[in-house]
Amino acid sequence: MARALRVRVDHTRCVGNATCTTIAPGVFKLNDDRQSEAINSVGEPEEIILKAAENCPVSAIRVEDAATGERLF
Amino acid sequence: MATTIHDDLFAPDVIADPYGYFGRLRAEDPVHWNAKYEVWVLTRYDDIVWLIRHPELFSSEVFKRDPRPPYPPIPEADVEMYGFVREFFADFFIQHDRPSHTEMRMVTHSYFTPRAMEAWRPMVRAAIKDLLDDAEAKGQMDVMQDFATPLPVLVIARMLGLPEQDRRFIRELAQKLLFIGRGDLNRMRPLTDGIKGLADYLSPLIKERLAHPGDDLLSVLASGETRGAFSRDEVVANAVLLLLAGHETTINLICNGTLALIRHPEQWALLQASSGLAVSATEECLRYDPPVKSLQRIAAEDVELRGNVLRKLDRARWFIPSANRDPAKFPEPDRFDITRDPNPHVAFGSGIHHCLGATLARVEGQEAFSALVDRFPALHLTTEELEYQPSITFRSLKALPVTWN
Repeated sequence: MARALRVRVDHTRCVGNATCTTIAPGVFKLNDDRQSEAINSVGEPEEIILKAAENCPVSAIRVEDAATGERLF
Repeated sequence: MATTIHDDLFAPDVIADPYGYFGRLRAEDPVHWNAKYEVWVLTRYDDIVWLIRHPELFSSEVFKRDPRPPYPPIPEADVEMYGFVREFFADFFIQHDRPSHTEMRMVTHSYFTPRAMEAWRPMVRAAIKDLLDDAEAKGQMDVMQDFATPLPVLVIARMLGLPEQDRRFIRELAQKLLFIGRGDLNRMRPLTDGIKGLADYLSPLIKERLAHPGDDLLSVLASGETRGAFSRDEVVANAVLLLLAGHETTINLICNGTLALIRHPEQWALLQASSGLAVSATEECLRYDPPVKSLQRIAAEDVELRGNVLRKLDRARWFIPSANRDPAKFPEPDRFDITRDPNPHVAFGSGIHHCLGATLARVEGQEAFSALVDRFPALHLTTEELEYQPSITFRSLKALPVTWN
């Protein structure tokens, strides 16, 4: 079974580029301010979530192993 | 609210000091109808961020959708050339809305990730060292011609995999395309020549990359044709866009930032004393005197904003220098403070069209400013007579002569 992840978007950095909602629509949604929120950390496979984090143009996405706290991105 | 502020966006006083002019608009008439050019002028930070984060209300397909002639007006005889220019620019991915914008942007988006751009830092640093070695030998330089221009041209040409010896030729043609944001009556001729020259230069290289893909940016772009995101014409147009956007904006960042640092000696000294401030110093340069002055959208439907109704197909132009100095967003906005934090400037825009090359520009700025304060502690202007290009798109110095003796 896939490990549980903790996915967070830093709203002091997020510019609403919406790359994450394009790559991982099952995890990220834009809110009313058009900034991204991680609404479901199991909405996509881990590799897709990491791909979304890597492609964030302002490095606003942080991904951790929920059990160990290890930073994955 | 009625305003007595004149509407000539190309007037010498507006070109010399956009902060005064747009600051007044921001305070007195933040959603201003500019009757002279028939365009809404937006100047408040919150309004601008709201506008650019609502691409379904404000389309980026300006060249495709705008039914009006260009402003300022052009001679009747040049209308045909404008048709050509307009059609070419309409192929830029930044002139597209969703869904085609997403499809086109994703072709090159992964090339420009923060991690990928970090890998270019040593190359940028080495190029800076070479340029400043040459300058040091001469004892003086024009920051524009001798440093700010060759650096990003070299970097983007290398990314695209273009031969080193073509750089001067590329820069000469690219300069013709900068007429797009200017008021010159006869600007359609250089624009047309610049487009044709660059398209003729790039087309055979693109063809070659399609047959034998490499790992350069031009190959990545050309792969968009293979996967159906681009037509051939769109590959060519977007190669021109990357070349142009990949250097003109960074030239302005380096020149405007260097000037701001020179004019604030205590900030210069602070950066010199703590190289760890290169990141926040670059952000403050981007905020304080941004490389791009304004961009335009076109209303996709009737939209109400601050009691005004922007009608469908109305033009809306948003001014970055004014947003970045909005006192409602930035404490002491006219103060240049390289330790400013937070610094949510909109020099790179925001939303789905946030600048594709932002991280590259940041890397180039950080390395350039660090190297300048490190190598030339006594850098100063050799003239106070500085002039800017008469553009409403770019905030471009014509020259920045300095010495350090």
